[in-house]
Amino acid sequence: MTGLIRPDGRLRPALETAPLLRIEGLTKRYPATTALDNLSVEVPRGRIGLVGANGAGKTTTFRLLLGLARATEGHIEVCGLDVARDPIAVRARLGYMPEHDCLPLDQTAADVVATFGELSGLPARAARQRASDILDLVGLDEARFRPIGGFSTGMRQRTKLAQAIVGDPELVLLDEPTAGLDPVGRDDMLALVARLGSFGISVLMATHLLDDVQKVCDYVVMIDAGRLVVAGATDSLLERTGTVTVDVGPSADVLVTALGRKNLPAHAIEGLVEVTVDGDAELDRLRDVIAELELPLYRLSTRLTSLDEVFLRRSEDSP
Amino acid sequence: MSAGAARGGAVYDRGYRPYEGTRGRRGAATFALYKASMRRALGIRRSWRQKVAPFVLLGVVTIPAIVNVGVGYVTRDELFDDRIEIINYRDYVGVSSALLLFVALVAPDVICPDRRQHVLPLMFARPMTGVDYVFAKLGAIATIIFAFSFLPQVLLFVGNMLVSDGALDYFTGHLDVLWKVPLSIVLLAAYYAVVGVAISSLTDRRIVAGAAIIGLFLVTSIAAGIFVGDFEAEEGESVAALLNVLAMPLYLRDLVFLGHVDPESPLAGVSNGGLLAILTYTGILLLGVAVLLRRYRWVER
Repeated sequence: MTGLIRPDGRLRPALETAPLLRIEGLTKRYPATTALDNLSVEVPRGRIGLVGANGAGKTTTFRLLLGLARATEGHIEVCGLDVARDPIAVRARLGYMPEHDCLPLDQTAADVVATFGELSGLPARAARQRASDILDLVGLDEARFRPIGGFSTGMRQRTKLAQAIVGDPELVLLDEPTAGLDPVGRDDMLALVARLGSFGISVLMATHLLDDVQKVCDYVVMIDAGRLVVAGATDSLLERTGTVTVDVGPSADVLVTALGRKNLPAHAIEGLVEVTVDGDAELDRLRDVIAELELPLYRLSTRLTSLDEVFLRRSEDSP
Repeated sequence: MSAGAARGGAVYDRGYRPYEGTRGRRGAATFALYKASMRRALGIRRSWRQKVAPFVLLGVVTIPAIVNVGVGYVTRDELFDDRIEIINYRDYVGVSSALLLFVALVAPDVICPDRRQHVLPLMFARPMTGVDYVFAKLGAIATIIFAFSFLPQVLLFVGNMLVSDGALDYFTGHLDVLWKVPLSIVLLAAYYAVVGVAISSLTDRRIVAGAAIIGLFLVTSIAAGIFVGDFEAEEGESVAALLNVLAMPLYLRDLVFLGHVDPESPLAGVSNGGLLAILTYTGILLLGVAVLLRRYRWVER
């Protein structure tokens, strides 16, 4: 396996094009429960959401990816590397941000992040320099010489993210990165996660908050009770619903009444008109009604399903 | 940058720069943890309070050397058949057992917070294993104990050499010290490090670990004292001296310096006492390492 790794620790080109994750028949049984049950999925590089309810098997999946637990059955490859054969090489390419508190509270953020940089294999000088840069990147430049014990929840989450990416990983595993954050902190964290993709770092974000995934992930893996529900590009999972949203300014009620007379079911919601249309012919009739009433048309769009709806429907469909 | 921007300042988004340099693996990660543990134990990059204990202790264990050299200097022109010697090299290794207090203070501080503050998952998500973790922590504690025991001995040796009538004669006359002292201190440092770290690994509370370390050494030395007294009275042998966990590295020190058990030692008179001491020492060391490897066997089966 070492022949596949360059002296700088990076992968040979053949592996750089490998899928981010290749999981085949993955099963993890504990004495009392089966955490993962014959899970098979292949995931491309990018920002991936690992979605499931509490107890669905997300954390177990992370432990298996990190080589910290052994699979009962099955096979895992991360960035083309076999986790069972060379967990050290895999961990050298990963960053990990756990959900729970995991930081030494009596040390400064700069020391902690630099130490974890060194533990990721960086030379001491490079680790300290990168720690400074990364803390700046996550918005902790002024607080980096303060003990972590005095940090707010949001600052601790940022420090956890900083230690996860200080080693310049190819893939960073984020376990519920927005847990415990207020709405502003949550948006900031999601913005940081979204930026990681532009840095060339793939992201696997485990969460039960589908809204977070919909905001930042371009690929989704949904699991439930240890089984795969569905996996695919986020856009492809957000199906068209047959409902059209129309914005005609303050004349929404006028339009609803007119559409009712034309047998097009419609209702007004928060100043917008939602119309159920069946095919292009009905969409043309909707356009004609708006034109006859001489209403201004600010927006006309097809409403998509949310990931919540996809998850609920697919979970019910799966055996 | 425009003049206006220069006057008003500018905010730069330095963005993210990928790391292009060389990258170490297990060895580098283990060495990094070793260094971080040493820094923590010595209070480096921590508040001044954390620096007090290690360096006060270093001062305390250095006092006998300073006194010995000082007396040697003051009496250098007196006509004595033998020089006044406050402490010799072998006994000075025994003084290092005062470092037990240091071990009870530092080993829990280096081990317990990692478990209590849930830092271990972050450690083991790096390119290192439980074995690497154990040996980095043991190495850090053992190195400090060695340094704190060895530096005063160096001071004693160099000082004695300088205040002697002939420095070269003193040096050539004490060549055996140059290997006996380091070897004895290696045995002592490894032993205290393993016992201290192994006990600390069993709890995530520093105060409990510290009390347990002190308690183990005190209880076993008291128990050995009681049993040895009985044995001496009844049979003239004192195999129960082996119960004294605190004295075990000192028995080995005697073997290194004298080549046999010290006749004044509680172990004197026991047949194969030296061999039994070596076996007990090795057994305790192996037990401690086994406990540690078990506690940090991080891969879930």
